[in-house]
Amino acid sequence: MASKQFAAIDLQAIRRSLGEPDPAAKAKIMDELDDNCLAFLAHSSFCTIATADTDGNCDSSPRGDYPGFVRALDSRTLVIPERMGNKLADSLQNIVESGHVGLLCFVPGMSETLRINGTATVTDDVELMAMLEQDHVTPDLAIVVHTEEVYLHCGRALLRGGLWDAEMQELAAEVPSAGRIWASMSGLSTEVGDAIDEAVAEGNRTLY
Amino acid sequence: MRNRAGMMPLIVQEIVQETPTIVSLILVDPEGRRLPAWDPGAHVDLQLITRHERQYSLCGDPADEFSYRIAVLREEHSRGASHYIHRFLKVGREVFVRPPRNLFPLSDAKRHLLLAAGIGITPILSMARRLATTDADWRLVYTVRNRSDIAFADELAALGDQVQVHVSAEAGRLDLAGLLAGLAPGTDVSACGPMGFTDALAARVETLPADCRLHMERFQPKPRAFAPNTDFTVLCARSDRTVDVSARQTMLQALQSARVGIPGSCLRGTCGSCAVQVLDGVPEHRDSLTVDDASRIMYPCVSRSSSPTLVIDA
Repeated sequence: MASKQFAAIDLQAIRRSLGEPDPAAKAKIMDELDDNCLAFLAHSSFCTIATADTDGNCDSSPRGDYPGFVRALDSRTLVIPERMGNKLADSLQNIVESGHVGLLCFVPGMSETLRINGTATVTDDVELMAMLEQDHVTPDLAIVVHTEEVYLHCGRALLRGGLWDAEMQELAAEVPSAGRIWASMSGLSTEVGDAIDEAVAEGNRTLY
Repeated sequence: MRNRAGMMPLIVQEIVQETPTIVSLILVDPEGRRLPAWDPGAHVDLQLITRHERQYSLCGDPADEFSYRIAVLREEHSRGASHYIHRFLKVGREVFVRPPRNLFPLSDAKRHLLLAAGIGITPILSMARRLATTDADWRLVYTVRNRSDIAFADELAALGDQVQVHVSAEAGRLDLAGLLAGLAPGTDVSACGPMGFTDALAARVETLPADCRLHMERFQPKPRAFAPNTDFTVLCARSDRTVDVSARQTMLQALQSARVGIPGSCLRGTCGSCAVQVLDGVPEHRDSLTVDDASRIMYPCVSRSSSPTLVIDA
């Protein structure tokens, strides 16, 4: 289908199409982490951080580290280390502007995900940074999240997508490599792209 | 993320709350097979399912060929492993363990003073148990803050009058100076404890009577200052490779990037797992293990080179 302007429908129309949510679904939303959620986080090695600026412009960014890296200091307070990245600091800037985050946390091999929404700040507290040391490298900053909504999202999305199926990983070979994508964006040759891939693979040998 | 090359999967057979802040773990082979032997002072590298890897002294009975025991302090500012073990590790789960290594062996001296502070009791307990089976003259002083912090109280009591437990909340700070001054000649002192304790002992090493020696195991690197990092080159004699180490990386990172197979565990110069033999050049020892600055064994996770080129047996 050629792209065209699609008619946007309002919430009433959406409700007519979907129906009302099961009250049980709403009852699953907690405002803090219970022991099961703490166990989930202790084994979670990846999450996405959704943030928005004050105009509502959204951003979603991946974070991964040793399992348990989204660390619960208590049932309502989480800390997430900020390790070296591209220094654009989009997420951090949005947090400073709006003070809100939405986390989607994954445990490798598990279909269900843990959604945590709340308020957030950025800190450079020295004692906290020392606690977040990994492989002898201490982060400079961390995000502190105060939980407001915590709930387990059912596994159907990941199951439909076959996210943890080993066979699905053959898909990655069909996508242009990161080096070629970046080279193409800059109008450079595929040979340069391959060189970028080699350099990136080398750089990725030191993750901390 | 760390790999598990060279590690044995072991099963957590038992978790015992030894004090409000210390748990001990009994680890066994999944098939009940015999485990590699060890001597008092030995430690293991233990990796959790989370890939956090730490060193723990073996604190069980060296004569027990089928299980290892370690003890873990619940740390307020845990970097992950202590927190995970105390909160989430369960009996029946798998952990990954490298065969024991001993950087803190008991000497064959005839007289021994064993000193332990807090969780530092772990290697010292095994030493005491071994010495109790010999005709050596020995005593153990174990200092803890509060009475409730005493771990392995029954086992220590069973070792007899040579064991003295010092509760500093009740009796004041342990008089280290007095202890050392009163040593009989030819006494070997073996000490383990938090940094404040080992530092206080190290500061008094000059006051040791003649013929007495001090052996310590540190949990934290020795606090020292070094000259700024410089670039240098490492020639790996065995694999015939040349590896450039930039000022911004560790020698171990550079070697591993060049796929020179050297393990690393603590990455802070305290565990000894990355030891390499220096064949030529002048290593700059920055670790907490090297006693003699002229040593030809170096630990590239923190140590560097004073000469532009270093030749190593790798």
